[in-house]
Amino acid sequence: MQIIRNGAIVEDAFVHVANGAEIPAQGDVIVSLSRYVEERDALRARAGKVGVRLASNEEAHTVEPYLGEVALVAIEFPTFKDGRGYTTARLLRDRYGYKGEIRAVGDVLRDQLRAMRRCGFDAYELKAGKDIQGALQAFGEFSESYQGAADDPRPLFRRRNRAAI
Amino acid sequence: MPKPPLKWIVTANFTVDGAVGYFTAARSFSRQVADAIVFASKEEAEAARLEAVRAEAVVTDPYLMEVVESDGKLDLLSARERIRSLGPTVPYGHFKPKSGAV
Amino acid sequence: MYQYDEFDQRIVDERAAQFAGQVERRFSGEITENEFKPLRLQNGLYMQLHAYMLRVAVPYGTLSAKQLRMLAHIARKYDRGYGHFTTRQNCQYNWPRLEDMPEIHRCLASVEMHSIQTSGNCVRNVTADHFAGVAPDELEDPRPWCEVIRQWSTFHPEFIALPRKFKIAVGTTPGVDRAAVAFHDIGVRMIENEQGERGFQILVGGGLGRTPYIAQLIGHFVPKWDLLSYLEAVLRVYNTHGRRDNLHKARIKILVNALGADEFRKRVEAEWALIKDGPLKLDPAEFERIAKHFAPPAYEKLPDAKAELDKLRLGKDRELARFVTNNVSKHKAPGYAAVVVCLKQKDVPPGDMTDEQMDAFAALSERFGFGELRVTHTQNLVLPDVRVSDLPALHAELSKLGLATPNHNKLTDLIACPGLDYCALANARSIPIALEVMQRFEDIDYQNDLGELNLKISGCINACGHHHIGNIGILGIDKGGVEHYQIMLGGSAGYDASLGEFLGKALPQEQVVDALTKLLHCYLGLRHSVEDRLIDVVRRVGLSPFKEAVYGPPTIRQGVAHANH
Repeated sequence: MQIIRNGAIVEDAFVHVANGAEIPAQGDVIVSLSRYVEERDALRARAGKVGVRLASNEEAHTVEPYLGEVALVAIEFPTFKDGRGYTTARLLRDRYGYKGEIRAVGDVLRDQLRAMRRCGFDAYELKAGKDIQGALQAFGEFSESYQGAADDPRPLFRRRNRAAI
Repeated sequence: MPKPPLKWIVTANFTVDGAVGYFTAARSFSRQVADAIVFASKEEAEAARLEAVRAEAVVTDPYLMEVVESDGKLDLLSARERIRSLGPTVPYGHFKPKSGAV
Repeated sequence: MYQYDEFDQRIVDERAAQFAGQVERRFSGEITENEFKPLRLQNGLYMQLHAYMLRVAVPYGTLSAKQLRMLAHIARKYDRGYGHFTTRQNCQYNWPRLEDMPEIHRCLASVEMHSIQTSGNCVRNVTADHFAGVAPDELEDPRPWCEVIRQWSTFHPEFIALPRKFKIAVGTTPGVDRAAVAFHDIGVRMIENEQGERGFQILVGGGLGRTPYIAQLIGHFVPKWDLLSYLEAVLRVYNTHGRRDNLHKARIKILVNALGADEFRKRVEAEWALIKDGPLKLDPAEFERIAKHFAPPAYEKLPDAKAELDKLRLGKDRELARFVTNNVSKHKAPGYAAVVVCLKQKDVPPGDMTDEQMDAFAALSERFGFGELRVTHTQNLVLPDVRVSDLPALHAELSKLGLATPNHNKLTDLIACPGLDYCALANARSIPIALEVMQRFEDIDYQNDLGELNLKISGCINACGHHHIGNIGILGIDKGGVEHYQIMLGGSAGYDASLGEFLGKALPQEQVVDALTKLLHCYLGLRHSVEDRLIDVVRRVGLSPFKEAVYGPPTIRQGVAHANH
């Protein structure tokens, strides 16, 4: 399916596998964190990449032990109003130094993309039926931010000369 | 005396300016409650409401309001719906509402 | 006051452009109302009973004359000729059209204003004392700190989808609170420790609504430059652990009370320890850059005006005397005063102001000050820098505008939410009660005799009229489709914060003001002197005498019914 990654629309081969479903022998898959923990050896042994998916109530520290071995961390937004994923992504970057892909999945809409990127997301599975081309424009809507975040921890005054009166 | 039966009107707010709207027999929305079609059947009212839901560019958040008709007059049953149809009951700007109970 | 640099200006301009795009996509159907609603809320645009409602941000209640003129222009051109000043120091319009919103935002941005985050589940307007910067009893001006918090919280990407709204207030007046700090999600109180260092107490979990709470002291002494990191830690704990399953249990006050203050503090300070020495540490030079905008204006060197004020209070012009006695407050600079202009006009909903009054008031702020005015959180305005020698002239001008009512902190200086005349959430109307009270108790001499009295009226349990913290509170409810009203006594929004208690069963509209009259009569019979305020008497004697006055003596079988909501 098409996703946005690093500001561009790309084809993506990862397949989400539900908890009860059979994991395909080949290909790249994303499984829930609990499944990864349970079937870790088998998942690491199989051909194809494996990423983990965090539910909105699963905190960053729960995936920390596996950050060195997973292909990506997907964070669920069950509804766009559930903002826990922003903190989760931020901590993955700032607290645990995770440099791999953080992907937003679920109720992911154009108008949240910029905040997601600032919190450390770099890939986005847009909600089905939404205009992915139009969504790209969201990243350019603001040229500056007041506060630091995962993308740049420096607040505005450390990045720019703010006019004194 | 038996209570008059409950009936329904589909109401919403116009998307363009938020004004109150009422679903009419012509299947459009009017700003006057007097133009509203009064449904005796809740199922028909709900069908009309769903039609309004699909017209999101025109109206927002349509819902069913209960009314009764007695002596040929429409009773909107709640202070809230009466105020929705009449406007604020208190002065604003240079406007003074007609006095009287709601 | 703060003036935008190119970055502040760009941020509001780009936000206006972003919202214009979202409005277009709403009309074209590209986004649904369900997707659009949080976007318009985060731009302060509500859908109410009759129309949209736009809440314009007035950061910490400070406005320039130029900004007020623009608010007048918007009222005239895009609304119905008036605006309403709110209990969080903002300004509301009740009739904007969605299709006019892009133009309204451009107008606002042209005078360094916006409606960003005045609604929605995000950090809202940071509020402060309406005498900020001129009050003799403040440690320092709270507004630079408010501005620091405003910038940090504006479009903070981690906190754009909190469990619920988030309100912050800052107070810098030891032992005194004119900003209802204890009733905010976070209350920031500046204090000096024993070493004379300035820092902040951080109170968390205050709020009204369905479950009112006084905020609890979480941060005992947060050093000044650590303010933002502490706030970020609180918000992060809230974003992660605040309830999202039940709209009515989603505020931080619920979390703080569920965990208990100690456990909540533990979690916050564990997070804080990891971030306090990072990039959130405030830079003194950046703080100075902001604080310079709030430097005192060029006050004339005037002699102390106490004698002059006494003369005015005892003078022949009785209207002026009443005004000086009730509405004029002390000022840091000798010879100056801060003047409260009550928007409590007869037959006008409290807090409302016409476009003409706004334009005239803007001119007054320039003639009798430095072109700055304040919005209080009790639906009034303030002219913060009036020369005492100008008070008679100012009073004459205010009288022409119908804005000279000398009732500050008296019974008719009440507050009322918009209620069922406007608000989609309301169960009953509140403004008609307010108007009736203002008419019935118009007599200023009687009000002066009643003494300090704060009446607060809400049209529903959401408590936007702050009824829990009125000395007298009135709550409108729906009883079988008919508007009824509960009366509460004993609330206080000040440093001696307290929540009122219900007096008895709800009364129909026509009985409310009579009940008030009986209540006040009872107070007059019980008090020792006019300085023995209603709130003092209620705290001393309890509710029973007042219950009896309003409802009659309790019978053996009948207890006094309590609120059921």
